[in-house]
Amino acid sequence: MLGGSLQRRLLATMAAAFVVLLVVISVLLWNYARAAAERTYDLLLAGAALSILERVSIGPDGPTADLPTSAMDILGLAPDERVVYAVFAQGGEHVTGRRDLPLPDKLSALATSGAEQRFFTGQVDGTDFRFVLQGRALLSSTGREWIFVQVGQTLGARQAQERALFLTGLLGLAAVSLLGLGFVWLAIRSSLAPLHQIEADLRRRAPGDLSEIDGTPPQEIRGLWTAINLFIGRLRQSRTLTETFIADVAHQTRTSLSALVGHVTLAADAEDFETMRNRVERAERQAQRTVRLTNQLLANAMVIHRTDHASLDIIRLLPIVRETLADILRDVSMRSVTLTFNGDDLPEGADRIRGDAVSIREALRNLIDNAVRHGPEANNILVELSQREETIVLSVEDAGPGIPWRDRLKATERFTSLSRKNGGSGLGLSIVRAVAEGHQARLSLGQSSLGGLSVSVAFPRLLAVLLAALIPGFWAAPAARADTLEIWSATDTPAFAPILADYEAKHPTVDVVYTEYHTVELHQAILAAAPGTGPDLVISSAMDLQVDLVNRGLALRIDMPEALRPPGWAEWRSELFGFTFEPAAIVYSRAILSTKELPTSHRDLATFVRDNEDRLLGRIGGYDIRGSGIGYLYATQDAEQGLQAQRLTEVLGRAGLKTFCCTSDMVEGAADGELALAFNVIGSYALASARADPRIGIHFLDDFNLVMTRTAFVPKDAKDPDLAEAFLKFLLSPETQELIGAETPLIPIDSAYFPEALAGPSRNYLPIRLGPGLLTYLDPLKRRDFLKGWEASLDR
Amino acid sequence: MRMLLVEDNEELAETILHRMRSEGHSVDHEPDGNSANELLRHARFDIVLLDINLPGKSGFELLRSLRARGDLTPVMILTARSQIDDRVTGLDAGADDYMVKPVDFRELTARCRVLARRSAGSASNLFEAGNLVFDRAAKRALIDGRDAEMRAREIQLLEILVDNLGRMLTKEEVADKLYTFEEAPSMNAVEQLVARLRRKLEPTQLVVRTARGLGYMAYVSEDD
Repeated sequence: MLGGSLQRRLLATMAAAFVVLLVVISVLLWNYARAAAERTYDLLLAGAALSILERVSIGPDGPTADLPTSAMDILGLAPDERVVYAVFAQGGEHVTGRRDLPLPDKLSALATSGAEQRFFTGQVDGTDFRFVLQGRALLSSTGREWIFVQVGQTLGARQAQERALFLTGLLGLAAVSLLGLGFVWLAIRSSLAPLHQIEADLRRRAPGDLSEIDGTPPQEIRGLWTAINLFIGRLRQSRTLTETFIADVAHQTRTSLSALVGHVTLAADAEDFETMRNRVERAERQAQRTVRLTNQLLANAMVIHRTDHASLDIIRLLPIVRETLADILRDVSMRSVTLTFNGDDLPEGADRIRGDAVSIREALRNLIDNAVRHGPEANNILVELSQREETIVLSVEDAGPGIPWRDRLKATERFTSLSRKNGGSGLGLSIVRAVAEGHQARLSLGQSSLGGLSVSVAFPRLLAVLLAALIPGFWAAPAARADTLEIWSATDTPAFAPILADYEAKHPTVDVVYTEYHTVELHQAILAAAPGTGPDLVISSAMDLQVDLVNRGLALRIDMPEALRPPGWAEWRSELFGFTFEPAAIVYSRAILSTKELPTSHRDLATFVRDNEDRLLGRIGGYDIRGSGIGYLYATQDAEQGLQAQRLTEVLGRAGLKTFCCTSDMVEGAADGELALAFNVIGSYALASARADPRIGIHFLDDFNLVMTRTAFVPKDAKDPDLAEAFLKFLLSPETQELIGAETPLIPIDSAYFPEALAGPSRNYLPIRLGPGLLTYLDPLKRRDFLKGWEASLDR
Repeated sequence: MRMLLVEDNEELAETILHRMRSEGHSVDHEPDGNSANELLRHARFDIVLLDINLPGKSGFELLRSLRARGDLTPVMILTARSQIDDRVTGLDAGADDYMVKPVDFRELTARCRVLARRSAGSASNLFEAGNLVFDRAAKRALIDGRDAEMRAREIQLLEILVDNLGRMLTKEEVADKLYTFEEAPSMNAVEQLVARLRRKLEPTQLVVRTARGLGYMAYVSEDD
């Protein structure tokens, strides 16, 4: 019968209808949300394309483009999206950007309507991008030439927007649906009232009242009404049957007792001793029969009661059968009987069933009792416990006369004794049948190979046992293995060593392989690595190159807990994380310059150099930005801040700027007095050196100080991404951040552990933000032009 | 034998008393759990026949306090309960045997003899059954006064069987008692040993019965 409530079922049907409705509306809503989100973000793409188009021109060498920062800034309004772009001429001639972007199908049509914006979706390296393509006609020496700009962006933000719009709409719909369901519920309640009436009628009844329910039911439940009344009728019938059974029992016992009393009375009245003795012997036999009848009636009642009420436990048949048989064999009357038990072939645990031990013992006792009673003096009884596919069978066979097949059905009925002379009560097999029924077991009677009757009871086996046999070794533990974490890093090994030492001490089973690279080398190595040969973690100080790698879709998304996340500027797409805070600084020689005369802003710096040209000539150091990734990053970001950067470069050129590859060389120069000052050195290293060397000083400017961060990401094809993720979290944990501050020349990103030199009066730090904005100066044309300008200023 | 019958039904008690006395046993009767408990503190009996439903202390309680005192007198429980559960059969409470009322007198006296023999055998060093005399201390068995010339293992097995007279022992139990852990006996060896001992005991009344698949049980045929 189906459970649950009608009310719930009706509600469920209505709810299903509402769901179908919701689905239909959702589809419409989804299309709307999609269009709205698409439009919003397409405008960003169009804006970026327009701002690039504006800077496209025809130079002496043909078409060229000067990528404006604003283009990337517009795209950066969707901060977590990856960005691609390309500029090309009508003939397909490449100007800048990527060469492998997908184009719309009908490129030929471009010539006729090049100025029109065209939006389409395509794939780059397996990821979906939305593109805009727009052209502009320029006049060149050969005539009008179309230049096209193509800008693309990943779909994350627009999909999020789509979802947000969709969910808001859906929430409103859901609320309306719930309200509707509420009304449905009220309607259902009122229609189900007649059922409650039946319930009340049945509840009020006295236990003995088995009369039919009166009244006229509504048409819909007339069938139920009739069925209940029919059931009541059957119950009445069953009660009559029970009364018959009691009458039967009364009849059987009274008859038996009457016979006994009769024999005893006759014995008491007997005239001579021989008659009396004869009567008494018959009375004794009758008494035995009465005892057996009573015992079996009680057993029958007990078994029926237990199968009705006792809950079945998980029990093992083998010990129950063994103990019962051992118990029976102690009887002196069993001395002449040969009893064999066969149950040792069972596999371990196969004898588990859901059952009631007391009832099963009683059934077995009755089976043995029957076998003994109906068999010959020197009886042979075989008890067997065996396993079938889905059952476990308990069988008892004897060497008696057996039961002819036509009588077998009758044999299990109450008070059916097939043989008078053995004193059977006719209850033994009916007890066994009751036990079998109580266990959902199958009782069958057959011919025994020993000559007599074979009775078997097939108990259902436990499903769990069957299942366990089917799935061997399911819980076998995986073998332990040693883990290897491979890190490729553009950070001096000595600077990083304390962090690795701490990690290895805390994770003794992990083997860390640390390979050091220069920033540009590392960038190329990652791009060149064949699948599966790359590292588990990439660490570099070149923020722009790291952003480029992540923008190519090479990084794995990390679920970083809120507590560990670095500030917003030092994280991009939940894929790239900064873990250090490294301001650009000026390092100077205390022997040549005094603290007081040092300039306080970038503008002052240029003036200061020009005013002291004779003293500083050839004694100013700076990065060679052609070779150093950090130097180029600092220089381009300085240029972003305004025109004074250009002026400063020119002044430095006149003062004979010396260029270096690394911060350490510049710090050394200042210490030796070879350099008066060096600017845009990495502050963290410089501060560490200054702590150890009194000959040098570190100076920060007041207007702004660029800050870069060392970043790390887990590549998508890392061999052990989980381990790499754990290491990244370890880097950002408070303990490691404290360790970075205390034991390495680096400065942690967590301001709680800044060194004293930074903790002083609040300085004007200008962190370089991770994001697509950093891609502008990686554009090859842009880079070429920037370096050209730099060289010209320095007069190289 | 000296017996104590603890039974509150006077009619039933009288028949049992009559039967046991007619067999030559000396039987005391107590109708009450508490008074029986008091009596058992002071007097020694060879067997206690114990009813369960008693006024005062119940049969189980009486048995528990008896065993708690360290008294190992054999106890035969007579129960009229409808379901024979583990409290009775498992002999958790410390009973040596049980029978369900109404009891057959022949069966009752036979079982009592087995109990008495078992406890007498383990209490003294001498076990006697008809023409068989088994001396535990001397590790020797005499049949009709002559040495039965049993080997050490056979004597050991005989001792195990006599200690468990009237009780079914599985083959594994016999092997466990017979061999140390290192000896790793084969079940075949146990079977052969039992067969040899049975042959030697043939002229006596001590019968070693085998129930295939269940184990071995020894009993004295004259007791039946």
